Amino acid sequence: MTTFSNKIMSVSGHRCWWRWGLPVLAFVLVFVGMQFDAGWYRQPIARIQTVQTTQVAHPVDNFQNHDRVVTQKLQAVLLNTAKQGQRLTLHNTYSASGAEDAPLAPGNQVFLAHAGRRYTISNIKRDAILMALAAATLVLLGLIVGRHLWLTLVSITANALLFIVALHVEIASHQTLAFLLFSAVAIGFAVITTVFVVGVKPLAAVVASATIGATALGVALGYGIFVWTNYRDLHLETVKYVTQAPQLLFFVQIIIGSLGAVLDESSDIAVAIFQLHDGGKARFHAGMAIGRNVMGPLITVLFMIFIAETFAESVLWLRNGNSISQTVVWVMGLGFAQSLISAFGIVLAIPLTSGLAALAARRTRRLR
Amino acid sequence: MSAITALALALLILMVVVGGKQGLSNFFALGLNTLLMILAVVLMAGGFSPVGVAVVIGLCVLAATIFLSTTRMDVAGPAFVASLLVMAGVLAVVIIGVRFSATAGFGPEDSETLEGFSVYIGVSFEQVLIATGLLGTLGAIAEAASAVAAGVIELGPKATPAGVKEIQTTIIGTALNTLFFGFFGGFSALFIWFTQLKYSFATIINNQIFVGELVQVLFSVIAVALTVPVTLWVVKRRQRIV
Repeated sequence: MTTFSNKIMSVSGHRCWWRWGLPVLAFVLVFVGMQFDAGWYRQPIARIQTVQTTQVAHPVDNFQNHDRVVTQKLQAVLLNTAKQGQRLTLHNTYSASGAEDAPLAPGNQVFLAHAGRRYTISNIKRDAILMALAAATLVLLGLIVGRHLWLTLVSITANALLFIVALHVEIASHQTLAFLLFSAVAIGFAVITTVFVVGVKPLAAVVASATIGATALGVALGYGIFVWTNYRDLHLETVKYVTQAPQLLFFVQIIIGSLGAVLDESSDIAVAIFQLHDGGKARFHAGMAIGRNVMGPLITVLFMIFIAETFAESVLWLRNGNSISQTVVWVMGLGFAQSLISAFGIVLAIPLTSGLAALAARRTRRLR
Repeated sequence: MSAITALALALLILMVVVGGKQGLSNFFALGLNTLLMILAVVLMAGGFSPVGVAVVIGLCVLAATIFLSTTRMDVAGPAFVASLLVMAGVLAVVIIGVRFSATAGFGPEDSETLEGFSVYIGVSFEQVLIATGLLGTLGAIAEAASAVAAGVIELGPKATPAGVKEIQTTIIGTALNTLFFGFFGGFSALFIWFTQLKYSFATIINNQIFVGELVQVLFSVIAVALTVPVTLWVVKRRQRIV
């Protein structure tokens, strides 16, 4: 055992421990640097210098919720436009709960809008924290996976470009093509990502087709169940940020959302099967065994993401006098449905990949 | 039967057919996590500190996910310990991220959701968002920790630095796809909105909802990235003691 730990030591040993401070350094440098990018924006930006509380109210609503609403008087300085350097007075109102507002502190930067001759705050500047966190994340990943990071980044960029192109086509076609278009995009995502994960090999064909097949089957099964139960207690009209065709967008979200998990699982299984030298049946069983081990945690990954996102609205509903069951059905319901249908794909991918990979592995072997 | 009950039944059947006994145990873990998440929301709305609730419920979610999805205690033990360490680290990152990004609560695009609601509810949405950030990453932490622990323990004393490195790279690569697409699915409607209304790039990278979602993705990626070396360290320490 000591040789093993020594070897792990040498893995982390030759990179000194202080390297783990690099992500923090990246965060600080980018965060501080981006405090000075106001010149890049056309919209006026101001930095808050002093804050004075002018008024405090204690509203109580119909549900006996007590809150605190504070009005701030802010002295700020303009950071861009022709009037750069000009001092101005702004006002901000925030509540302790902060559903639609936030307190401002000295050093914060805000976008301004003209209201007649005066300025009002239109938005908080958030680019610095976003880029700083992104930089820290990239440096951290770089420390752990090294050069492999580039491959992942190129893959994500390629997928993002495909998505942006599809969006513009979709808007240009007035959303008539949405489902077909996004299904095509999902297939594109699967193929691009597979090629980046496993390379251009027969293996890639197995992974991509198993991913596409399992996702399609999972969504079809989900749709079948929706129709069969007549969408009972399912409130698709609450799908967020959708102006038309919420049902369609809901399925698009599920397809794209589960694609990565299905693909990861499928590549895990297929790669392992291709390395085996047993007969077809043994390969199939080996694949099933691997799949059984990973399916639970993978389903949980998506489940936690989808459900945690409903927290804010759920709390709002509960505090507004709605019952727990109402809140679960109306707010968390779509998250549950999304997790469950994604789980269909994740489970179905196991036999599908194992079968396809066992068949393909036998054929490539014969060809040799 | 409601659509969700039918979906859950169908999943139970699928998981048992494909996974047998292990599938049943996985389904049970999922059911347990569902109850825990509902409990979390109820406690937060009931006046308990959302961050405190998230930490306590988070511990239970990690335990349920890790111990019910693997039958091997030698894997589950270190994976659980590593997850706890990572959770503490991620909590710090989430607090900083949420504080500085001011993305708590609802954005201007959410106004339709808020119609008819009293928003002065006396529960800090900043804390609720910290809870969201923390709990949202736990699935990914549990998955990565179990995978790393299983992989490294399987390699055992024969492990070469190259082998360990390969495990790290594969697991992070895998997790990144799951996370990237998992969040991207939710983005699609928002992006259609942005494209339709011709939001500029400058508007998008300062938009409350977009930044909030992207920061959430970054939390998860950071969590997974931290999980890998931390789990290696825990496994290594255990092996040294043995």
